[in-house]
Amino acid sequence: MNVTLYFTPTCPYCRMAKEYLAKKNIKYEGMNVAESRDNAQEMIKKSGQMGVPVIDIDGKIIVGFDEKELNKVFGK
Amino acid sequence: MIYDFAIIGGGPAGLSAAIYAARFRLKAVVLAKEPGGTLTKIHLMENWPGEQGISGAALADRLVNHAKDLGVDIMQTEVQSVSRKGKNFLIRADEGNFEAISILFATGTKHRHLGVPGEKEFYGRGVSYCAVCDATFFKGKTVAVIGGSDSAANEALLLSEHAKKVYIIYRKEKIRAEPINCEKIANNKKIEVIANTNVKEIEGDKFVKSVVLDKPYKGSAKLPLDGIFVEVGYHPHSELAKSLGVKIDENGEIRIGCESETNMPGVFAAGDVTSGSFKQAITAAAQGVTASNSAYKYVTER
Repeated sequence: MNVTLYFTPTCPYCRMAKEYLAKKNIKYEGMNVAESRDNAQEMIKKSGQMGVPVIDIDGKIIVGFDEKELNKVFGK
Repeated sequence: MIYDFAIIGGGPAGLSAAIYAARFRLKAVVLAKEPGGTLTKIHLMENWPGEQGISGAALADRLVNHAKDLGVDIMQTEVQSVSRKGKNFLIRADEGNFEAISILFATGTKHRHLGVPGEKEFYGRGVSYCAVCDATFFKGKTVAVIGGSDSAANEALLLSEHAKKVYIIYRKEKIRAEPINCEKIANNKKIEVIANTNVKEIEGDKFVKSVVLDKPYKGSAKLPLDGIFVEVGYHPHSELAKSLGVKIDENGEIRIGCESETNMPGVFAAGDVTSGSFKQAITAAAQGVTASNSAYKYVTER
């Protein structure tokens, strides 16, 4: 499974998303959108919006830290 | 297991209560949907005594670690209901059920919406409720903060580090931020206050392009913008308390006394969910630790 997390360092929900992925032992690629305009553009293109976090799981896009949606994919 | 003290909410009120509860040797648990609470959305705090400048997230970490080191269980979970179980209380949460002799509602607030056309449609596409989260998307752009509170002023100051222009659009004459923040705003060349003005509508295509004001600003009711940060106040999260029978005032806030007690024995409340007019991290913390002292008395004397 390919998981990418788009985040900004200061966003509390991004942190909750990181903690969630760590708790479930899920490997992911972290993309800091505050640091890189390219990362930000990629995230906006994928999700059609500019709120963080965005999680891309094999092309399935989850906007925000939505634990219920994440549990559907990764199991509770 | 039956806890002595169950704390619902993980902001400064709940975490400070947890620290004191542990020192009182109460068996305490914190049930928090978002550990750190509203603190985590504050870019820079300059009014926590002893800290001249600390990010809300860093302060929240310290409070969490302080409570954890003292042995408090902190669970990230959403509470669904609180009811009576004999003399005790039963809390149903996503992570399971918890029984406690006494409880604290430190449930905080949720942000209020502006309630104008375009707000929902453009959420995440220019409309944001969290400057700390989304400010970096507006590097070199023009943005507005809607609202005139101290939180609005803080958001404007943070945004001015990224955006080229920041408007504060406020319905009244004068913003009601801390005077020290009003001075910072007045001295910040990027920030401009549009007073006595309301936003009527948010417009755009794929992303926000402009807002319509209820009176012209510099000759035009249409103000071009790339981002809008809504900071128009908060609703208290008091539904759980209300359903248990806790007395709620006309603003939906929990009425407490000097000992952080509610109308129900064994039930305490602290922080932004209570009816105090001065909602600060430090006042929340003070109410939280007062609640722990009251819970200690309640548990030991029962």
